[in-house]
Amino acid sequence: MSGQTAASGNPAPEHGPVPRRRRILAGAVEVAVLLLVGLFLYLALSGDHPEGSAVAAYLTDRAAEETGALNLVTAIYLGYRAFDTLGETIVLLLAVSGVMVFLEAQK
Amino acid sequence: MRKTTILDLVSRKIAPFMLLFGFYLLSYGHISPGGGFQGGVVIASGVILLAMSRGVRTAESLFPIGALSLLEAVTYLLLLATGVAGIVVGVGFLGSLSARETAVAVPRVSFILLLNVLIGLKVGAGISVICMRLFKEE
Repeated sequence: MSGQTAASGNPAPEHGPVPRRRRILAGAVEVAVLLLVGLFLYLALSGDHPEGSAVAAYLTDRAAEETGALNLVTAIYLGYRAFDTLGETIVLLLAVSGVMVFLEAQK
Repeated sequence: MRKTTILDLVSRKIAPFMLLFGFYLLSYGHISPGGGFQGGVVIASGVILLAMSRGVRTAESLFPIGALSLLEAVTYLLLLATGVAGIVVGVGFLGSLSARETAVAVPRVSFILLLNVLIGLKVGAGISVICMRLFKEE
């Protein structure tokens, strides 16, 4: 009975309201998750920021000469981490291959 | 999919500029925000807009799916060849072929530009192929 109503797009009205204990449990889980997220955000944002570290100073000094890119983001992802970028293009190639394979196999 | 006059008119005006902006992002990614992935996605969105508004058949006469998937594979091979060329020259896999240790007034940017263009063509062709292939199923 409930399977038929669910299949017809009706959100199962015969289930009635959610029991009180389940609502309390769900609320407790929500509060716990929010507290955890808040704790992590506080720990991540309240510490010392690594600005002025040796890596940042090196990059701003030498990245343009070493890679040729004035845009430091490009200098990092195509100059210092080009291998990582190559991996990302492999991911896209696999996605295209998967779509083609599955759609051709469907016929 | 129901077509409206607005979509029909606007897409024909906007799609060429979207393609142009995509190629701008590719070719200026080393100076300004942008780069291969972003430019490729903008190019693909221009192609997808054409395919949605004019129909996949019309878009396919401009950008055939076979040619697009071939372009994707070929640019990927060229990307690998660029990396291997770094080994041959002696700067390591995907090492910059154009940058020199000695500082010059204008940084030698051709290697980054080459990678950006290759990645952009690859991403644009790949995402266009995925979307047009899925649109054709309808």
